[in-house]
Amino acid sequence: MPNLKNIVEIVWLILVLLTLFTFLLGLFNTINTSIVAVLLISTFIKAQLLIDYFMGLKNVRLRYRIIPSFWLFIVISLIATAYYYPI
Amino acid sequence: MTKSSNIKEPHPPGDFAIWIIIYVELLTFALLFTGYAFSRRADVEVFNASQLLLSQTSGFINTLILITSSYFVVKAVQSIKDMTEQTAKSANSSAAKWLLSAIFLGFLFLVIKVFEFSHIFGMGIHLSTNTFFMFYLLLTLFHFMHVMLGLIILWNIYQKTKRVGYTVDDYSGMETGASYWHLVDLLWIILFPLIYIIR
Repeated sequence: MPNLKNIVEIVWLILVLLTLFTFLLGLFNTINTSIVAVLLISTFIKAQLLIDYFMGLKNVRLRYRIIPSFWLFIVISLIATAYYYPI
Repeated sequence: MTKSSNIKEPHPPGDFAIWIIIYVELLTFALLFTGYAFSRRADVEVFNASQLLLSQTSGFINTLILITSSYFVVKAVQSIKDMTEQTAKSANSSAAKWLLSAIFLGFLFLVIKVFEFSHIFGMGIHLSTNTFFMFYLLLTLFHFMHVMLGLIILWNIYQKTKRVGYTVDDYSGMETGASYWHLVDLLWIILFPLIYIIR
């Protein structure tokens, strides 16, 4: 298992790869309703990784970590609702 | 900014005041993000057509720039946290190099955004063109100002590392500035797919 200190390199690489994945989906114009869900999940993963490992909240008491994580969950859920819930 | 111990830190990194600011910023941007997403439902065709006028490539490059800049700031903080009294000078010097790289990337982000804005404004687009561009300009200009403020903060931290100003017992100021810079990255990570890609 990699040392937590070296995890930031792995996190950076995952963030870059997920960003590339997002860009390629847009570039090849493959965005449809099912892909939107994939993109939102990918965005959630990226943001949560940043909160945990770059902002350093992974090892902080839950009461502080939960605020940005809950914010992220609500924002992504509301965006998904706006895209999927019929008018 | 990571610890290998299972013991939880009692407080988030840096001064707690910055976290109050971060929570307020998160709330503000949440309103703008969801405002954009729900406004789109009323005019999907206009939003999709307007989105095609944006450069996905510049959005993509800017995302990579901010992610990497944020990573450099993590490395700068790690350098300071790992130092001992004997290695204070070299640790501050190492942190200064990481910070200067992060500042350079942040500046590059702004340059690319300025080119993007000049292209958009050159097409005669402004805040009242349509709802899509109102949100696009509000979100990206507001974020642009956050990047500028973040760069000023990073520059001040950089100056302190040049003076070997951070010690084993006192590096909270660096963590405070780093937390703000990561917020700027976090907001862009959501903004990029929402405005540039998802349709």
